[in-house]
Amino acid sequence: MKKSGIAKKVFSVASVLGLCASMLAGCGSGGGSKPTLKVYSWGEYIDTSLLRDFEQEYDCKVIYETFDSNESMYTKLQSGETYDILVPSDYMIERLIKEDSLQPIDWTKISNASNLADDVMGLDYDPDNTYSVPFFYGNVGILYDTTVVDSADLSEGWELLRDEKYANDIYMYDSERDSFMIALKALGYSMNTSNTDEIDKAYEWLLEQHSSMNPVYAGDDVIDNMISGNKALAVVYSGDGSYIMAENEDLGFLVPEEGTNVWQDAMVITKDCTEVDLAHKYMDFMLRPESAYANTVEVGYTSTVAESRDKAAKEDFAGIDSYIPDMSRSQDEVFRYQDKETKAYFAELWTKVKASN
Amino acid sequence: MKHYVKMVWPYVIWAALIIVLPLLLIILYSVTKNGNELVNIQFTLENFKRMTEPVYMAVFIKSFELGILSVVICLILGYLLAYFIAGFQEKVQNLLILLVTIPMWINTLLRTYAWISLLSDNGLINSFLEMIGLQPLNMMYTDFAVLIGLVSDLLPFMVIPIHTSLCKIDQSLIEASMDLGANRFQTFWRVTFKLSIPGVLNGVIMTFLLSISTFVIPKLLGGGQYTLIGNLIENQFISIGDWNFGSAISVILAIIILVSITLMKRIDKDEIEEE
Amino acid sequence: MRKHRIGQILYIIVCFTFFYLPILVTMIYSFNSSKSLTKFESFSLRWYENLFTSHDIMYAVWVSVSIAFLATIVSTILGTLTSIGLSKNRKILKEIIINVNNVPIMNPDIVTAIGLMILFSSIHMEKGYLTMLLAHIVFCTPYVITSVYPKVRGLDPNLANAAMDLGATPFQALTKVILPMLKEGIYAGVLLAFTMSFDDFVISYFVTGNGVSNISIIVYNMTKRTNPTINALSTIVILVIAITLILVNVIPNVAKRRKEHKSVT
Repeated sequence: MKKSGIAKKVFSVASVLGLCASMLAGCGSGGGSKPTLKVYSWGEYIDTSLLRDFEQEYDCKVIYETFDSNESMYTKLQSGETYDILVPSDYMIERLIKEDSLQPIDWTKISNASNLADDVMGLDYDPDNTYSVPFFYGNVGILYDTTVVDSADLSEGWELLRDEKYANDIYMYDSERDSFMIALKALGYSMNTSNTDEIDKAYEWLLEQHSSMNPVYAGDDVIDNMISGNKALAVVYSGDGSYIMAENEDLGFLVPEEGTNVWQDAMVITKDCTEVDLAHKYMDFMLRPESAYANTVEVGYTSTVAESRDKAAKEDFAGIDSYIPDMSRSQDEVFRYQDKETKAYFAELWTKVKASN
Repeated sequence: MKHYVKMVWPYVIWAALIIVLPLLLIILYSVTKNGNELVNIQFTLENFKRMTEPVYMAVFIKSFELGILSVVICLILGYLLAYFIAGFQEKVQNLLILLVTIPMWINTLLRTYAWISLLSDNGLINSFLEMIGLQPLNMMYTDFAVLIGLVSDLLPFMVIPIHTSLCKIDQSLIEASMDLGANRFQTFWRVTFKLSIPGVLNGVIMTFLLSISTFVIPKLLGGGQYTLIGNLIENQFISIGDWNFGSAISVILAIIILVSITLMKRIDKDEIEEE
Repeated sequence: MRKHRIGQILYIIVCFTFFYLPILVTMIYSFNSSKSLTKFESFSLRWYENLFTSHDIMYAVWVSVSIAFLATIVSTILGTLTSIGLSKNRKILKEIIINVNNVPIMNPDIVTAIGLMILFSSIHMEKGYLTMLLAHIVFCTPYVITSVYPKVRGLDPNLANAAMDLGATPFQALTKVILPMLKEGIYAGVLLAFTMSFDDFVISYFVTGNGVSNISIIVYNMTKRTNPTINALSTIVILVIAITLILVNVIPNVAKRRKEHKSVT
């Protein structure tokens, strides 16, 4: 009985692919009985070669997974997944502390703790750094194209995002927390408010902006778009701003006077962690000046390690003022934990803003 | 064949555990409140009620418009392509169909990213337009971009079933029709098209399914303001964490799809019975 | 007739441009020396170098390919056996199975994904390679059944009996008589299952864990910054698939296929 063509087709495709894969993958799933550390962090947030160095130095295995928002990280945790180390943001850490999901840090095991800059320690979400080891930090501002935006308009602050001169020419950040932060600050309220009147006014602000400015609510695609200079204004995190400005010289970074969000992402150890010692070693390793320097240069976000930060500011991000955010402005705030109702209210209003016509 | 009747049991057990059970779980979530703990379960229809709010209705309507539009475009483009391909010799046909299938093997996300670099404001198409002295177009983050992305992703799913059913048509029927005095158009409409309806329906169902529930393509090409049902569900599960409301939307979406498909299948049956 | 043909050929070319333009762009920019996806600076192989030294990507390739393989094999066997068993079953059971089988096909990916995620977490199954494989079998098997079952219905029910009357065991009748007659349906199912599994993003994304990612997940996670490394990967995938398919399809098959076709009509 002769074999049909498709059979051969399938089998050859399959075997070629399989062959390639096995050649390419090589020692894909080695490891054996070495101690294993599971780290869950933001995508593109590390110089991955450091992980291999760490593995070699401590003869262990690091499983490194990434998420794209604090919320998706939280959902994954809720679905029963366990990790040793997480690197979420401030308000999410506060939530995890409240829910009793974290272990206190044993600072005596972190010899490089003294490398951390003073102004990144003791933020409101974890005032004594009982649970968190700061990793990256920054603020939020408006990236503007100096060839399009009139420098006199910069004094408008956040209202620049409603200046009809720049209608159809802006990127907002597609996240309810960040967008409401802008509206609330522009109106002179706290970004951590749970007062529904204030939130409703912020909603009106955003709704009005949606209809008059027709903004694009972008995610991380804003980075490529701004490097190519596609639009005049974009709301970005300072770290992304530094990275973009290093690639495109025609851009400036505005931190509005009304105040903005200062944020921090920190390493925390979960209650599920069994390799507590190794987890501390990992954190200590990341605080070494050479590791921190490699990370900040790779990613563009501001390092919490003073020495590495200053070196990067002088060499790699020279002339880019967004690289070192000013942590001393009293009008700036850190995001705090939101109760369930406020969070749901924000989410619902945000869906309405985006779906309105 | 009676001997083999028992061979269905592994699948019955498998399906009950891993197809039916998850569905029941989703339904359970959709009619409960804060339903993560089985201890203090509370039944409610609140989640379904919420969906009647204008915002969410608008999202449903928009998804349908986009879904139907992309199916219609795929149908027209795909039918023509399948029909033309079917006119070639067997050998060429195989090659052409192969060429239609190859893109399906390449990651959808990757192809979508390539569209971004083509369509963006300073992208390749605009650079080309400027080079030949034309005005650049604003294409990214519009309906146009989303449709391009969807259609290029879904078209093969339309072309292949239509081509398959066109190939099955007995050429002598067409010759007979011509011999009996029908012109080319009549022959096409009354013979070829009619006989290809099963393929068309398969293609329509497949593309409709994929387009109505998509969330990655609109998110990447349409921007965050492009909220469709798929994005709504994703948001509820991933960023908002309201699994109950998310489940309720999923249930409604599943019901709508079930109903539409049943209707389409009925058309198919009616057509055949008419013959 | 000539004129028509030219119009048709033009149309086909336009459609294929539409299909292949993004792929071509992906391939071209995999050789770009800069990170940009819109400006081509100069020719370089740096992204290929990155690709082959990236442990993560290589592992993801392995996961994608091996899962697609295993899921295809399991779902083909499961789906084919079920289809054969189905045809002579009681009507009610048949209807139920067929409808249940349609669920993963008709349900939006995201709903299937969520359902499986909830299931795996409520039975506390550790997420990773195994959960991903199970999930892939869930959505691949129905495609096999929908391609094989119509062929089973088209079989002459007396065939197996005839074979058994002639002394074949039920197993022999199955492998020697029935399966060969279902060939086409099975191959179609295999192709569909493999394609679906290889390209899946949504379901894999929700059911994986423990650092197990397939190509789609890696791509999704990499896109925070454009990373042409992934273009390099897809260029290789495209080339491997295209060359294999074309070689296998064109060279040995042309003659055989024509013969087959003639004998059928």
